[in-house]
Amino acid sequence: MLLVPCPNCGPRNSADLRYFGESHERPNPASASPHEWRSYLYLEDNPADWLKESWFCRSGCRRYFTLERHTGTNEFRSPPMPGNKVGGKA
Amino acid sequence: MVDVLRFESPVTTIYPTGETEDLTLGDLSEITKQIVRADSKTAAAEQLAVTFGSSRIDGDVIVLGQRPDEFLLVGTPTATASLVEGLDRSGHVSVIDHTHSRAMFRLTGSNASATLEKLCSVDWSEPMTPNGAVVSASLAKVGCDIARLDRGPDRSYLIACDRSFAQYLFDAIIDAGNEFDIAVVALAPTLV
Ligand SMILES: [Zn+2]
Repeated sequence: MLLVPCPNCGPRNSADLRYFGESHERPNPASASPHEWRSYLYLEDNPADWLKESWFCRSGCRRYFTLERHTGTNEFRSPPMPGNKVGGKA
Repeated sequence: MVDVLRFESPVTTIYPTGETEDLTLGDLSEITKQIVRADSKTAAAEQLAVTFGSSRIDGDVIVLGQRPDEFLLVGTPTATASLVEGLDRSGHVSVIDHTHSRAMFRLTGSNASATLEKLCSVDWSEPMTPNGAVVSASLAKVGCDIARLDRGPDRSYLIACDRSFAQYLFDAIIDAGNEFDIAVVALAPTLV
């Protein structure tokens, strides 16, 4: 089981959340090329390293949030914790 | 002769009443439930005066901060109506009556938290969820809003879920509580 630190609810079983994958900055709709859109929508970095990713707290606060997780160790980096506390390893 | 409309609970299975009162489960689905969505900057949110994860008793109503910017009011029909009527509706505020779409149970007794621990991955220990705490989480894979509202010295939890899952969840809680001799009790639709 992976404990995911939700900034509102605290550590929760990942089965109670929905994983939304890598979090990248959305290109500007006014100026982005088709290649930039394809890259944003479909291409992934998939590193064995620290990765910024999006999660949805499905059973809890029903909010989207972004976390940094190490894909090799499943460690979360300085996750925001409820009550403005900054947790260490989740 | 006039037929009087009566509330029909989604929980229809009749369980025999057990010997012990140490762990009880009651159906509170008839209690009035209003969900208020109010941005934290609105006057309504200030009036409701609870933060996400906490609750406050206001006469015959309990106000639960069940999600960021979302409140659940539970209580008698007249008390919840008067609280809702008094809300300042300026800004981003909505009120919807969920009495007939959400079911509610009350699980009470010294083994209440041990029973929840079998169904849910939330930490129900005293420091994490003290009396008055409100948590949204899945219970037996059903999305629920759960509030700890002790009755005197006894641990007690209000559990709210969608009406369509109510019978399944009621049965799942009975299954989990069987090892603690859970007994089903009849409850009047009030918080006392
Ligand atoms: Zn959450």
